[in-house]
Amino acid sequence: MFGIKYPIICGGMMWLCKPKLCAAISNAGGMGNLTAGNYETEEAFRAAIQETRRLTDKPFMVNITLLPSVRITQEHHRMYVRVCAEEQVAGIEFSGTPLDKALGMEAIELLKKSGVKLFHKVGAVRHALHAEKIGYDGIYAAGIEEGGHPLNDDVTTMVLTAKMAATLKIPVVAVGGIADGRTMAAALALGAQGIMMASRFIATKECEVHDRIKEELVKRQEYETVLYGKSIGLQGRGLRTKVLEEILAIEARGGGFEELIPLMSGLRVKEAWEKGDVDYAPLMVGQSIGLINDIPSCKELIETMATEARQYLAQAYRATGGTEI
Amino acid sequence: MKTKITEMMGIKYPILLSGMSWISTPRMVAAVSNAGGLGILATGPLSPEQTREAIREVRRLTDKPFGANASLLFAAARENARVLLEEQVPVINFALGKGDWIVREAHKYGGKVIATVVNLRHARRAQDYGCDAVIATGNEAAAHGEEVTSLVLIPHLVENLQIPVIAAGGFADGRGLAAALALGAEGIAMGTRFMATQESPLHENYKKLAVEKDVYDTIFSDRFDGLLCRIMKTEAAERAVKKGLNLMAAFFNSRDIARQMNVPYWKMFFGVLASGWSTARQLAYMANAFKMIKMATEEGDTRTGVLPVGQVQGLIHDIPTVAELLERIVHDAKKTENRLANIFSS
Repeated sequence: MFGIKYPIICGGMMWLCKPKLCAAISNAGGMGNLTAGNYETEEAFRAAIQETRRLTDKPFMVNITLLPSVRITQEHHRMYVRVCAEEQVAGIEFSGTPLDKALGMEAIELLKKSGVKLFHKVGAVRHALHAEKIGYDGIYAAGIEEGGHPLNDDVTTMVLTAKMAATLKIPVVAVGGIADGRTMAAALALGAQGIMMASRFIATKECEVHDRIKEELVKRQEYETVLYGKSIGLQGRGLRTKVLEEILAIEARGGGFEELIPLMSGLRVKEAWEKGDVDYAPLMVGQSIGLINDIPSCKELIETMATEARQYLAQAYRATGGTEI
Repeated sequence: MKTKITEMMGIKYPILLSGMSWISTPRMVAAVSNAGGLGILATGPLSPEQTREAIREVRRLTDKPFGANASLLFAAARENARVLLEEQVPVINFALGKGDWIVREAHKYGGKVIATVVNLRHARRAQDYGCDAVIATGNEAAAHGEEVTSLVLIPHLVENLQIPVIAAGGFADGRGLAAALALGAEGIAMGTRFMATQESPLHENYKKLAVEKDVYDTIFSDRFDGLLCRIMKTEAAERAVKKGLNLMAAFFNSRDIARQMNVPYWKMFFGVLASGWSTARQLAYMANAFKMIKMATEEGDTRTGVLPVGQVQGLIHDIPTVAELLERIVHDAKKTENRLANIFSS
């Protein structure tokens, strides 16, 4: 669909998916991500697209999260969509409310007319079927292991990917728990046409985040993430840290939105990423952090994954008694 | 097929039947072993005498390798483990306890021992005990598990262990087998998928439900039997989880269990109390769960029964024979790998 070398796509991450990381991934043969929410004005957003294009001539995705937020309003969402259409970006990863309900069918028509491919990140087949019906080009199927906001259906990538691939006609990109060649090979075996990773790309040389954060992800294990925010209807998965313990404690004693929001605000997260203070704000990473053991360049990472995936599939092939790859 | 597990156990396909109470009965175990997999007999609800009789029954029904499980959580189950050793069961699968003595005794007669684990800490301990393999249970599995899912848990264990890993949780078809092998597992264990087969003793009502229910129709909670446990989402299950522990019911249900296992009730009662409050509470929880699972599996009672199932129930659409199922899984795994070979060669 995009003419990329490897079906390895970066997922949207607030404050992290900026031109440098985005271009590094696309140049390495994968598909980088530029997260629109980083930019509050049209000029800044357009400038970021143009800067990414200076750094790479390869396609990349834009992330637009269609959720109500204090900082980013529906007006921003409209602006992002219009700029993406004008700039004819390769594809958009939407999450949250489906585009028809958030901005109307005309937004979909506008983008399709401009040749922008539309993907929506969903956690349930019913949501995927809706996206398929209204004209999306593909689905990011997010299992419960993902960092960010997994759907509270709590279905895992292993089961969800297989179910989505068997049910949908449009391509499925597997999300959640993928960070190396083995997990990528497994996702493709389950029927995914590609994989999306986010946490893994934080621990790369090109990601603009404090080194302490990258080192923390290498150190921490798969059981050290936790689901929170269930009580306010916005489930999230993040690294188990002091601030998340505090958030869980507030939720446990029935503390509401007002108490929680100051601890969870986007600007606080930005500060934590920059200062390298893991205990300052919730860092939304997935269970795949247990599979992160180093901090390579994006090119090294993507090439190692592709080589390993091929190697593990060859092993599987020998086991079932097929011919060699 | 050929993996470390097929070689170790002398079986045709690296596909195991999980030991599920009231499901993995001698007939079911033999059906899986006869079809080229490895059946694991569930001894949870059996007395030592019944366990011995069940093993002999399996041997009457198949001359292929088979296994039997032993939960080491409570004393009566340890008795069952001793019976497995006396009967020289080819593969012993233990969980929830210290199994080093089982490994020592089984290895004397050439038996193999596999531990069911939910994290790397347990898996390392099993390896230190001398276990021959582990079954790694991901979050999506039926019954007891933790938060980490198969996709992440399996490669993590494969990287950190020397002994083979058998993947459990989320596997029901050929794509799943291919995925497990790609993750580095040497085989898979399936429970939910085998429940919905012709030979399975699961009540027809629940076989039908397993086909109807979707991937998200499960509940994962520690308010069913006191441990984190995944069960089919039904009205009865939601009621059970909402209510939590009912001590009065536990009293009556534990009397049934004592009768069924041929233990005098006073002996069981004081045995449980002597084990300390947290164990006693756990056992009380389990006494009730036992009853609810039995109501589901044996009676097919959809109003009060509760059935542990995995998320993978949403990938089940039919009720084939065990032999058809195994052939189909292996065939589809090969097909999946051919498809991937094409992707990678282009």
